Amino acid sequence: MIHVEKLNKSFNGKKIISNISLSIQPGKITSIIGPSGGGKTTFLKCLSMLAPPDTGTIKVDDQVYVFPNDTRIRNAPPWPKLNVVFQQLFLWPHLTLRQNIFLPLQLQSKAMKDYEIERRKSRAEKLIEELSLQDAIDRFPNETSLGQRQRAAIIRALALEPSYLLLDEVTSALDIEHIGIVLNTLKEASSDGMGILLVTHLLKFAMNSSDHIVFLEDGIIYEQGKPDIIRNPHSERLREFLSLIKVVS
Amino acid sequence: MDILDILVKHRAEFLYGIKITLLLSVYIWIIGIALGTILGTASNRWKRIVGLPTRFLSFILSGIPVLVFLFWLHYPAQYLFKIVVNPFITTVVALSIVNAFLIADLMRSVLEDFPKQYLEAAYVSGFGRLETLRHIQLPIIWRQVMPNLLTIQIVMLQSTLFASLISVDEVFRIAQRINSEIYKPVEVYSALGIIFLIICLPMHGLALWFRAKYTRDISEK
Repeated sequence: MIHVEKLNKSFNGKKIISNISLSIQPGKITSIIGPSGGGKTTFLKCLSMLAPPDTGTIKVDDQVYVFPNDTRIRNAPPWPKLNVVFQQLFLWPHLTLRQNIFLPLQLQSKAMKDYEIERRKSRAEKLIEELSLQDAIDRFPNETSLGQRQRAAIIRALALEPSYLLLDEVTSALDIEHIGIVLNTLKEASSDGMGILLVTHLLKFAMNSSDHIVFLEDGIIYEQGKPDIIRNPHSERLREFLSLIKVVS
Repeated sequence: MDILDILVKHRAEFLYGIKITLLLSVYIWIIGIALGTILGTASNRWKRIVGLPTRFLSFILSGIPVLVFLFWLHYPAQYLFKIVVNPFITTVVALSIVNAFLIADLMRSVLEDFPKQYLEAAYVSGFGRLETLRHIQLPIIWRQVMPNLLTIQIVMLQSTLFASLISVDEVFRIAQRINSEIYKPVEVYSALGIIFLIICLPMHGLALWFRAKYTRDISEK
Protein backbone atom coordinates (compact mmCIF):
# COMPACT_ATOMS: atom_id res chain seq x y z
CA MET A 1 0.00 0.00 0.00
CA ILE A 2 1.08 3.60 -0.59
CA HIS A 3 0.26 5.80 2.34
CA VAL A 4 0.78 9.53 2.19
CA GLU A 5 0.75 11.57 5.38
CA LYS A 6 0.51 15.37 5.65
CA LEU A 7 2.13 16.19 2.32
CA ASN A 8 2.95 19.86 1.66
CA LYS A 9 4.46 21.59 -1.34
CA SER A 10 4.99 25.27 -2.13
CA PHE A 11 6.36 27.12 -5.13
CA ASN A 12 7.69 30.67 -4.72
CA GLY A 13 5.97 30.98 -1.37
CA LYS A 14 2.58 29.83 -2.72
CA LYS A 15 1.17 26.67 -1.20
CA ILE A 16 0.20 24.21 -3.95
CA ILE A 17 -0.38 21.11 -1.83
CA SER A 18 -1.71 21.45 1.68
CA ASN A 19 -1.59 18.70 4.29
CA ILE A 20 -2.72 15.90 1.99
CA SER A 21 -3.14 12.44 3.50
CA LEU A 22 -4.22 9.59 1.28
CA SER A 23 -3.88 5.82 0.74
CA ILE A 24 -3.57 3.90 -2.51
CA GLN A 25 -4.50 0.28 -2.06
CA PRO A 26 -3.07 -2.57 -4.16
CA GLY A 27 -5.69 -3.90 -6.54
CA LYS A 28 -7.78 -0.72 -6.36
CA ILE A 29 -8.19 2.25 -8.67
CA THR A 30 -8.24 5.69 -7.09
CA SER A 31 -9.17 8.74 -9.16
CA ILE A 32 -8.37 12.35 -8.44
CA ILE A 33 -10.78 14.89 -9.87
CA GLY A 34 -10.89 18.64 -9.53
CA PRO A 35 -10.54 21.90 -11.42
CA SER A 36 -7.44 22.81 -13.44
CA GLY A 37 -4.68 24.35 -11.37
CA GLY A 38 -5.98 22.62 -8.26
CA GLY A 39 -2.69 20.83 -7.58
CA LYS A 40 -3.47 17.41 -9.10
CA THR A 41 -0.34 17.17 -11.25
CA THR A 42 1.86 18.62 -8.48
CA PHE A 43 0.48 16.04 -6.08
CA LEU A 44 1.32 13.28 -8.58
CA LYS A 45 4.85 14.65 -8.95
CA CYS A 46 5.27 14.73 -5.16
CA LEU A 47 3.83 11.26 -4.76
CA SER A 48 6.18 9.87 -7.43
CA MET A 49 9.00 11.72 -5.63
CA LEU A 50 10.20 13.29 -8.88
CA ALA A 51 9.45 16.62 -7.22
CA PRO A 52 9.89 15.72 -3.55
CA PRO A 53 7.40 17.37 -1.18
CA ASP A 54 8.56 20.06 1.26
CA THR A 55 7.27 18.13 4.24
CA GLY A 56 5.36 14.92 4.87
CA THR A 57 5.76 11.17 4.75
CA ILE A 58 5.31 8.74 1.87
CA LYS A 59 5.20 5.04 2.64
CA VAL A 60 5.52 2.65 -0.30
CA ASP A 61 4.89 -0.84 1.09
CA ASP A 62 7.67 -1.21 3.67
CA GLN A 63 9.78 1.75 2.47
CA VAL A 64 9.24 5.01 4.33
CA TYR A 65 10.36 8.33 2.87
CA VAL A 66 10.30 11.27 5.27
CA PHE A 67 10.59 14.82 3.93
CA PRO A 68 12.36 17.16 3.86
CA ASN A 69 15.81 15.81 2.99
CA ASP A 70 15.16 12.13 2.53
CA THR A 71 18.27 10.84 0.83
CA ARG A 72 16.79 7.37 0.31
CA ILE A 73 15.26 8.53 -2.99
CA ARG A 74 18.78 8.46 -4.37
CA ASN A 75 19.89 5.20 -2.75
CA ALA A 76 16.64 3.24 -2.79
CA PRO A 77 14.28 4.93 -5.25
CA PRO A 78 10.69 3.69 -5.40
CA TRP A 79 10.86 3.22 -9.20
CA PRO A 80 9.96 1.20 -11.28
CA LYS A 81 7.88 -0.48 -8.58
CA LEU A 82 6.08 2.87 -8.57
CA ASN A 83 5.67 4.07 -12.14
CA VAL A 84 4.23 7.23 -13.67
CA VAL A 85 2.68 8.16 -17.00
CA PHE A 86 2.98 11.91 -17.35
CA GLN A 87 0.44 14.14 -19.02
CA GLN A 88 3.10 15.22 -21.54
CA LEU A 89 4.10 11.54 -21.89
CA PHE A 90 7.84 12.13 -22.46
CA LEU A 91 8.43 9.31 -24.85
CA TRP A 92 12.10 9.40 -25.79
CA PRO A 93 12.22 11.19 -29.16
CA HIS A 94 15.19 9.31 -30.64
CA LEU A 95 13.54 5.91 -30.19
CA THR A 96 10.58 4.40 -32.01
CA LEU A 97 7.46 3.55 -30.03
CA ARG A 98 8.56 -0.11 -30.02
CA GLN A 99 12.00 0.84 -28.62
CA ASN A 100 10.32 3.12 -26.08
CA ILE A 101 8.31 0.16 -24.83
CA PHE A 102 10.94 -2.57 -25.00
CA LEU A 103 14.13 -0.75 -23.88
CA PRO A 104 13.03 -0.49 -20.22
CA LEU A 105 11.95 -4.13 -20.35
CA GLN A 106 15.28 -5.14 -21.82
CA LEU A 107 17.20 -3.30 -19.10
CA GLN A 108 15.00 -4.74 -16.36
CA SER A 109 15.40 -8.23 -17.76
CA LYS A 110 19.08 -8.44 -16.73
CA ALA A 111 17.94 -9.65 -13.32
CA MET A 112 15.19 -11.94 -14.63
CA LYS A 113 14.88 -15.56 -15.62
CA ASP A 114 14.40 -16.35 -19.32
CA TYR A 115 10.78 -17.45 -18.99
CA GLU A 116 9.94 -14.26 -17.09
CA ILE A 117 11.53 -12.15 -19.82
CA GLU A 118 9.52 -14.00 -22.48
CA ARG A 119 6.31 -13.66 -20.48
CA ARG A 120 6.75 -9.89 -20.10
CA LYS A 121 7.66 -9.45 -23.76
CA SER A 122 4.63 -11.36 -24.94
CA ARG A 123 2.44 -9.38 -22.52
CA ALA A 124 3.81 -6.16 -24.03
CA GLU A 125 3.08 -7.48 -27.54
CA LYS A 126 -0.44 -8.34 -26.41
CA LEU A 127 -0.94 -4.83 -25.01
CA ILE A 128 0.28 -3.35 -28.31
CA GLU A 129 -2.34 -5.43 -30.09
CA GLU A 130 -5.13 -4.72 -27.62
CA LEU A 131 -4.53 -0.97 -27.75
CA SER A 132 -4.28 -1.19 -31.60
CA LEU A 133 -0.83 0.32 -31.84
CA GLN A 134 0.60 -2.13 -34.42
CA ASP A 135 0.48 0.35 -37.33
CA ALA A 136 2.45 3.02 -35.50
CA ILE A 137 4.77 0.85 -33.46
CA ASP A 138 7.86 1.35 -35.63
CA ARG A 139 7.44 5.07 -35.99
CA PHE A 140 9.15 7.80 -33.98
CA PRO A 141 6.97 9.65 -31.45
CA ASN A 142 6.79 12.83 -33.53
CA GLU A 143 5.49 10.83 -36.49
CA THR A 144 2.46 9.61 -34.54
CA SER A 145 -0.75 11.15 -33.22
CA LEU A 146 -1.14 12.22 -29.60
CA GLY A 147 -3.59 9.35 -29.06
CA GLN A 148 -1.02 6.82 -30.32
CA ARG A 149 1.64 8.35 -28.08
CA GLN A 150 -0.67 8.18 -25.08
CA ARG A 151 -1.30 4.51 -25.73
CA ALA A 152 2.43 3.85 -26.16
CA ALA A 153 3.21 5.61 -22.86
CA ILE A 154 0.55 3.54 -21.06
CA ILE A 155 1.97 0.31 -22.54
CA ARG A 156 5.54 1.35 -21.61
CA ALA A 157 4.44 1.70 -17.98
CA LEU A 158 2.15 -1.36 -17.84
CA ALA A 159 4.73 -3.64 -19.48
CA LEU A 160 7.04 -3.12 -16.51
CA GLU A 161 4.28 -4.50 -14.25
CA PRO A 162 4.73 -1.95 -11.49
CA SER A 163 3.03 -2.48 -8.13
CA TYR A 164 1.65 1.06 -8.34
CA LEU A 165 0.89 3.15 -11.38
CA LEU A 166 0.17 6.88 -11.41
CA LEU A 167 -1.50 8.27 -14.54
CA ASP A 168 -1.94 11.96 -15.28
CA GLU A 169 -4.74 12.74 -17.75
CA VAL A 170 -3.63 9.96 -20.05
CA THR A 171 -6.93 9.65 -21.90
CA SER A 172 -7.18 13.30 -22.95
CA ALA A 173 -6.53 12.60 -26.65
CA LEU A 174 -8.21 9.21 -26.93
CA ASP A 175 -11.47 8.54 -28.72
CA ILE A 176 -14.33 6.83 -26.88
CA GLU A 177 -13.42 3.39 -28.20
CA HIS A 178 -9.83 3.65 -26.99
CA ILE A 179 -10.87 5.16 -23.65
CA GLY A 180 -12.98 2.03 -23.18
CA ILE A 181 -10.06 -0.24 -24.08
CA VAL A 182 -7.69 1.65 -21.74
CA LEU A 183 -10.30 1.44 -18.99
CA ASN A 184 -10.58 -2.34 -19.41
CA THR A 185 -6.80 -2.72 -19.50
CA LEU A 186 -6.43 -0.72 -16.28
CA LYS A 187 -9.22 -2.70 -14.60
CA GLU A 188 -7.47 -5.92 -15.63
CA ALA A 189 -4.13 -4.68 -14.23
CA SER A 190 -5.88 -3.61 -11.06
CA SER A 191 -7.53 -7.01 -10.66
CA ASP A 192 -4.02 -8.51 -10.96
CA GLY A 193 -3.08 -6.51 -7.86
CA MET A 194 -1.76 -3.23 -9.28
CA GLY A 195 -2.63 -0.10 -7.30
CA ILE A 196 -3.61 2.67 -9.70
CA LEU A 197 -3.98 6.39 -9.18
CA LEU A 198 -5.65 8.30 -12.00
CA VAL A 199 -5.83 12.03 -12.47
CA THR A 200 -8.69 12.71 -14.85
CA HIS A 201 -11.19 15.36 -15.83
CA LEU A 202 -13.56 12.72 -17.23
CA LEU A 203 -16.11 12.18 -14.48
CA LYS A 204 -17.75 9.20 -16.18
CA PHE A 205 -14.36 7.58 -16.68
CA ALA A 206 -13.59 8.17 -12.99
CA MET A 207 -16.97 6.77 -11.91
CA ASN A 208 -16.75 3.68 -14.11
CA SER A 209 -13.16 2.86 -13.35
CA SER A 210 -12.60 3.80 -9.73
CA ASP A 211 -12.98 2.16 -6.37
CA HIS A 212 -12.21 5.45 -4.65
CA ILE A 213 -12.56 9.07 -5.74
CA VAL A 214 -10.72 12.07 -4.35
CA PHE A 215 -11.80 15.67 -4.99
CA LEU A 216 -8.83 18.04 -4.90
CA GLU A 217 -9.05 21.81 -5.17
CA ASP A 218 -6.50 24.50 -4.23
CA GLY A 219 -4.22 21.74 -2.98
CA ILE A 220 -6.76 20.55 -0.41
CA ILE A 221 -8.76 17.33 -0.39
CA TYR A 222 -12.32 18.50 0.17
CA GLU A 223 -13.97 15.15 -0.17
CA GLN A 224 -13.11 11.53 -0.84
CA GLY A 225 -14.99 8.26 -0.85
CA LYS A 226 -16.71 5.71 -3.10
CA PRO A 227 -17.63 6.75 -6.67
CA ASP A 228 -21.05 7.59 -5.27
CA ILE A 229 -19.75 10.96 -4.08
CA ILE A 230 -20.13 12.20 -7.64
CA ARG A 231 -23.88 11.52 -7.47
CA ASN A 232 -24.29 12.59 -3.85
CA PRO A 233 -21.58 15.08 -2.94
CA HIS A 234 -21.40 16.17 0.68
CA SER A 235 -19.04 19.14 0.44
CA GLU A 236 -20.15 22.47 -0.97
CA ARG A 237 -16.97 22.74 -3.12
CA LEU A 238 -17.57 19.42 -4.87
CA ARG A 239 -21.23 20.31 -5.43
CA GLU A 240 -20.16 23.60 -7.06
CA PHE A 241 -17.55 21.85 -9.20
CA LEU A 242 -20.05 19.23 -10.38
CA SER A 243 -22.73 21.82 -11.13
CA LEU A 244 -20.22 23.80 -13.24
CA ILE A 245 -19.37 20.66 -15.19
CA LYS A 246 -23.07 19.94 -15.72
CA VAL A 247 -23.54 23.47 -17.11
CA VAL A 248 -20.62 23.00 -19.53
CA SER A 249 -21.69 19.53 -20.67
CA MET B 1 51.25 25.84 -67.05
CA ASP B 2 47.73 25.11 -65.82
CA ILE B 3 46.39 24.25 -62.37
CA LEU B 4 46.81 20.50 -62.83
CA ASP B 5 50.42 20.92 -64.00
CA ILE B 6 51.17 23.00 -60.89
CA LEU B 7 49.55 20.40 -58.62
CA VAL B 8 51.54 17.59 -60.26
CA LYS B 9 54.85 19.42 -60.49
CA HIS B 10 54.75 20.70 -56.90
CA ARG B 11 52.97 17.71 -55.40
CA ALA B 12 55.72 17.00 -52.90
CA GLU B 13 55.59 20.55 -51.48
CA PHE B 14 51.80 20.59 -51.48
CA LEU B 15 51.65 17.17 -49.81
CA TYR B 16 54.03 18.38 -47.11
CA GLY B 17 51.87 21.50 -46.60
CA ILE B 18 48.70 19.40 -46.46
CA LYS B 19 50.36 17.13 -43.91
CA ILE B 20 51.21 20.08 -41.65
CA THR B 21 47.72 21.59 -42.10
CA LEU B 22 46.06 18.27 -41.22
CA LEU B 23 48.40 17.68 -38.31
CA LEU B 24 47.59 21.14 -36.93
CA SER B 25 43.87 20.45 -37.41
CA VAL B 26 43.97 17.06 -35.70
CA TYR B 27 45.69 18.53 -32.62
CA ILE B 28 43.28 21.47 -32.54
CA TRP B 29 40.25 19.18 -32.95
CA ILE B 30 41.30 16.70 -30.27
CA ILE B 31 42.39 19.26 -27.67
CA GLY B 32 39.52 21.64 -28.44
CA ILE B 33 36.81 18.97 -28.36
CA ALA B 34 38.13 17.36 -25.18
CA LEU B 35 38.59 20.66 -23.32
CA GLY B 36 35.38 22.15 -24.70
CA THR B 37 33.31 19.14 -23.67
CA ILE B 38 34.74 19.17 -20.15
CA LEU B 39 34.34 22.95 -19.85
CA GLY B 40 30.79 22.92 -21.26
CA THR B 41 29.67 20.07 -19.00
CA ALA B 42 31.30 21.67 -15.94
CA SER B 43 29.73 25.04 -16.85
CA ASN B 44 26.31 23.43 -16.87
CA ARG B 45 26.90 21.59 -13.61
CA TRP B 46 28.60 24.36 -11.64
CA LYS B 47 26.89 27.38 -13.13
CA ARG B 48 28.44 30.02 -10.86
CA ILE B 49 31.94 28.71 -10.20
CA VAL B 50 32.73 27.44 -13.72
CA GLY B 51 29.83 28.65 -15.90
CA LEU B 52 30.10 32.38 -15.25
CA PRO B 53 33.91 32.69 -15.76
CA THR B 54 33.68 30.49 -18.87
CA ARG B 55 30.91 32.63 -20.35
CA PHE B 56 32.86 35.79 -19.54
CA LEU B 57 36.07 34.48 -21.17
CA SER B 58 34.09 33.21 -24.14
CA PHE B 59 32.50 36.66 -24.51
CA ILE B 60 35.92 38.36 -24.41
CA LEU B 61 37.38 35.84 -26.87
CA SER B 62 34.49 36.32 -29.30
CA GLY B 63 35.49 40.00 -29.55
CA ILE B 64 39.07 39.25 -30.56
CA PRO B 65 39.76 38.18 -34.16
CA VAL B 66 41.52 34.79 -34.32
CA LEU B 67 44.47 36.32 -36.16
CA VAL B 68 45.00 38.99 -33.49
CA PHE B 69 44.81 36.34 -30.74
CA LEU B 70 47.35 34.18 -32.59
CA PHE B 71 49.71 37.13 -33.11
CA TRP B 72 49.32 38.19 -29.50
CA LEU B 73 50.29 34.71 -28.30
CA HIS B 74 53.19 34.59 -30.77
CA TYR B 75 54.76 38.00 -30.15
CA PRO B 76 53.72 40.00 -27.03
CA ALA B 77 52.96 37.00 -24.81
CA GLN B 78 56.26 35.32 -25.54
CA TYR B 79 58.11 38.61 -25.07
CA LEU B 80 56.25 39.18 -21.79
CA PHE B 81 57.07 35.74 -20.40
CA LYS B 82 60.56 35.75 -21.99
CA ILE B 83 60.03 32.43 -23.74
CA VAL B 84 60.33 31.23 -27.32
CA VAL B 85 57.75 28.73 -28.49
CA ASN B 86 57.67 26.87 -31.77
CA PRO B 87 55.06 28.61 -34.03
CA PHE B 88 53.41 25.23 -34.69
CA ILE B 89 52.74 24.86 -30.94
CA THR B 90 51.60 28.49 -30.65
CA THR B 91 49.05 27.85 -33.41
CA VAL B 92 47.84 24.67 -31.74
CA VAL B 93 47.45 26.47 -28.41
CA ALA B 94 45.68 29.53 -29.88
CA LEU B 95 43.23 27.66 -32.07
CA SER B 96 42.60 24.96 -29.45
CA ILE B 97 41.57 27.66 -26.97
CA VAL B 98 39.21 29.22 -29.53
CA ASN B 99 37.83 25.78 -30.44
CA ALA B 100 37.40 24.78 -26.78
CA PHE B 101 35.38 27.90 -25.93
CA LEU B 102 33.17 27.53 -29.01
CA ILE B 103 32.46 23.89 -28.12
CA ALA B 104 31.94 24.76 -24.44
CA ASP B 105 29.27 27.28 -25.47
CA LEU B 106 27.62 24.71 -27.73
CA MET B 107 27.69 21.96 -25.07
CA ARG B 108 26.40 24.26 -22.35
CA SER B 109 23.45 25.47 -24.39
CA VAL B 110 22.51 21.91 -25.43
CA LEU B 111 22.77 20.66 -21.84
CA GLU B 112 20.81 23.61 -20.48
CA ASP B 113 18.00 23.06 -22.98
CA PHE B 114 17.87 19.31 -22.40
CA PRO B 115 14.37 18.45 -21.15
CA LYS B 116 14.95 16.79 -17.78
CA GLN B 117 11.57 15.07 -18.08
CA TYR B 118 13.18 12.57 -20.48
CA LEU B 119 15.50 11.65 -17.62
CA GLU B 120 12.60 11.42 -15.17
CA ALA B 121 10.79 9.11 -17.59
CA ALA B 122 13.94 6.94 -17.60
CA TYR B 123 14.28 6.91 -13.81
CA VAL B 124 10.66 5.89 -13.23
CA SER B 125 11.16 3.15 -15.84
CA GLY B 126 13.90 1.73 -13.65
CA PHE B 127 16.99 3.03 -15.48
CA GLY B 128 20.09 3.60 -13.37
CA ARG B 129 22.10 6.80 -13.81
CA LEU B 130 24.62 5.18 -16.17
CA GLU B 131 21.87 3.50 -18.22
CA THR B 132 20.06 6.84 -18.49
CA LEU B 133 23.28 8.51 -19.62
CA ARG B 134 24.04 5.80 -22.17
CA HIS B 135 20.59 5.14 -23.62
CA ILE B 136 18.82 8.49 -23.27
CA GLN B 137 21.00 11.50 -22.50
CA LEU B 138 24.05 10.91 -24.71
CA PRO B 139 22.18 9.82 -27.88
CA ILE B 140 19.90 12.88 -27.73
CA ILE B 141 22.80 15.26 -26.97
CA TRP B 142 24.96 13.65 -29.68
CA ARG B 143 22.27 14.29 -32.28
CA GLN B 144 21.93 17.93 -31.24
CA VAL B 145 25.63 18.68 -30.97
CA MET B 146 27.10 16.82 -33.95
CA PRO B 147 26.18 19.02 -36.95
CA ASN B 148 27.28 22.27 -35.28
CA LEU B 149 30.39 20.60 -33.90
CA LEU B 150 31.41 19.50 -37.40
CA THR B 151 30.81 22.99 -38.78
CA ILE B 152 33.03 24.48 -36.06
CA GLN B 153 35.76 21.96 -36.89
CA ILE B 154 35.66 22.96 -40.57
CA VAL B 155 36.08 26.61 -39.54
CA MET B 156 39.03 25.56 -37.35
CA LEU B 157 40.64 23.72 -40.26
CA GLN B 158 40.29 26.81 -42.43
CA SER B 159 41.66 28.99 -39.62
CA THR B 160 44.95 27.07 -39.69
CA LEU B 161 45.75 29.28 -42.72
CA PHE B 162 46.63 32.04 -40.24
CA ALA B 163 49.57 29.91 -39.09
CA SER B 164 51.34 30.85 -42.34
CA LEU B 165 51.65 34.40 -40.98
CA ILE B 166 53.79 33.21 -38.05
CA SER B 167 55.98 31.05 -40.33
CA VAL B 168 54.35 27.62 -40.03
CA ASP B 169 54.89 25.68 -43.26
CA GLU B 170 51.28 24.75 -43.74
CA VAL B 171 49.65 24.49 -47.16
CA PHE B 172 48.93 28.22 -47.62
CA ARG B 173 52.54 29.21 -46.90
CA ILE B 174 53.69 26.49 -49.30
CA ALA B 175 51.39 27.94 -51.98
CA GLN B 176 52.82 31.43 -51.33
CA ARG B 177 56.35 30.04 -51.68
CA ILE B 178 55.54 28.26 -54.96
CA ASN B 179 53.91 31.43 -56.28
CA SER B 180 56.97 33.49 -55.42
CA GLU B 181 59.04 31.03 -57.51
CA ILE B 182 56.83 30.77 -60.61
CA TYR B 183 54.59 33.83 -60.22
CA LYS B 184 51.31 32.27 -61.37
CA PRO B 185 48.92 33.56 -58.67
CA VAL B 186 45.68 32.59 -60.46
CA GLU B 187 46.77 28.99 -61.01
CA VAL B 188 48.55 28.52 -57.66
CA TYR B 189 45.74 29.90 -55.52
CA SER B 190 43.14 28.06 -57.61
CA ALA B 191 45.08 24.86 -56.92
CA LEU B 192 45.02 25.78 -53.22
CA GLY B 193 41.26 26.30 -53.44
CA ILE B 194 40.86 22.86 -54.99
CA ILE B 195 42.93 21.29 -52.20
CA PHE B 196 40.73 22.92 -49.55
CA LEU B 197 37.60 21.87 -51.41
CA ILE B 198 38.83 18.27 -51.46
CA ILE B 199 39.47 18.36 -47.71
CA CYS B 200 36.50 20.46 -46.56
CA LEU B 201 33.69 19.29 -48.84
CA PRO B 202 33.53 15.74 -47.45
CA MET B 203 33.41 17.21 -43.94
CA HIS B 204 30.64 19.58 -45.00
CA GLY B 205 28.85 16.63 -46.59
CA LEU B 206 29.21 14.66 -43.36
CA ALA B 207 27.81 17.60 -41.34
CA LEU B 208 24.83 17.84 -43.71
CA TRP B 209 24.30 14.07 -43.51
CA PHE B 210 24.33 14.22 -39.71
CA ARG B 211 21.91 17.13 -39.78
CA ALA B 212 19.56 15.28 -42.12
CA LYS B 213 19.79 11.94 -40.35
CA TYR B 214 19.87 12.89 -36.70
CA THR B 215 18.48 16.37 -36.27
CA ARG B 216 15.18 15.73 -38.01
CA ASP B 217 12.31 17.55 -36.34
CA ILE B 218 11.61 15.56 -33.20
CA SER B 219 9.10 17.96 -31.71
CA GLU B 220 5.75 16.37 -31.05
CA LYS B 221 2.84 17.78 -33.01
